[in-house]
Amino acid sequence: MSTANKILVYIDGTEQSVTAAQYAICLASDSRAELLALYVINTRAMEDLLKAQIFLQNEQVEYERDMEADAERYLNYVNELALKKGISISKHSARGSVHKEIDKLVKDEGVDLLVMGELSRIRSRRDEFYDESERAMRSVPCSVLIVKDEDAVYDRYEALV
Amino acid sequence: MAVIELMAEEIVKTPLTSQDKPDVLRELVQILMDAGRIDNFDSVLSAVQEREDQMSTGLEGGIAVPHAKSASVDSLKMAIGIAPAGIDFNALDGNPTKLFFLLVAPPDKAGPHVQALAEIAKLAQSKAFCRALINAENAAEVVELMRGD
Repeated sequence: MSTANKILVYIDGTEQSVTAAQYAICLASDSRAELLALYVINTRAMEDLLKAQIFLQNEQVEYERDMEADAERYLNYVNELALKKGISISKHSARGSVHKEIDKLVKDEGVDLLVMGELSRIRSRRDEFYDESERAMRSVPCSVLIVKDEDAVYDRYEALV
Repeated sequence: MAVIELMAEEIVKTPLTSQDKPDVLRELVQILMDAGRIDNFDSVLSAVQEREDQMSTGLEGGIAVPHAKSASVDSLKMAIGIAPAGIDFNALDGNPTKLFFLLVAPPDKAGPHVQALAEIAKLAQSKAFCRALINAENAAEVVELMRGD
């Protein structure tokens, strides 16, 4: 039985998400699954920061532009990582609430495995509710794999022919 | 990168010794410098001051979130300063500011920066939690509270 037919890796600009991408590339190689990568420009958080008056209007626009550039850069980087191992990645970027956009792509594309980087430590059940990765993990209809141990994953990725 | 993962005693100072806004910004940046988190004091201070010049990041409820992007850092940096007596930071409600969260991020890591700011905004909503931070006796207690230990 193959691990999955369609794997989605969520990229958020953290080292942990790049590690998740390396692991997803190994999985896609092993199982010959189709691989997708998603970066979500978290416009919801930026709207909240504007409402809280932590962001100025022009700052929101500027950060949104930065995140668009981040999306392109990180998706291209993950694409290069995959190409080095002979795997192709379908790159996706979306805008909005992170967990909703992940859930939407999983459903739209019929993804059967979501791969994510190590989750942040949380302080309380309230944090758990607000953490976008936690929410995505709980809301998607497919299986979820949380990738840990950066060094082991790197070795596994490097060993991939 | 969650705020909780940035927590360490060396990035917390309580009480701050500054009496006014320009000094408190310097003192917050100095915390990062002393903790070895940055090596270009002037560049980081200038970025933070530039943002403050547009509008104060002093919010209601005695909290301020000075923040900036700076090419002088390679990852998100945070410092926490506490002034139990309060400092005039031109806050939105005109009240003195007691709790300062300084965030400095590299220009190419907007995602983690926005996430950290959103987490701080969420923390700021809990008056009881902010009160506990302000009343903390030392940096270790602040770290303990932030980590929820």
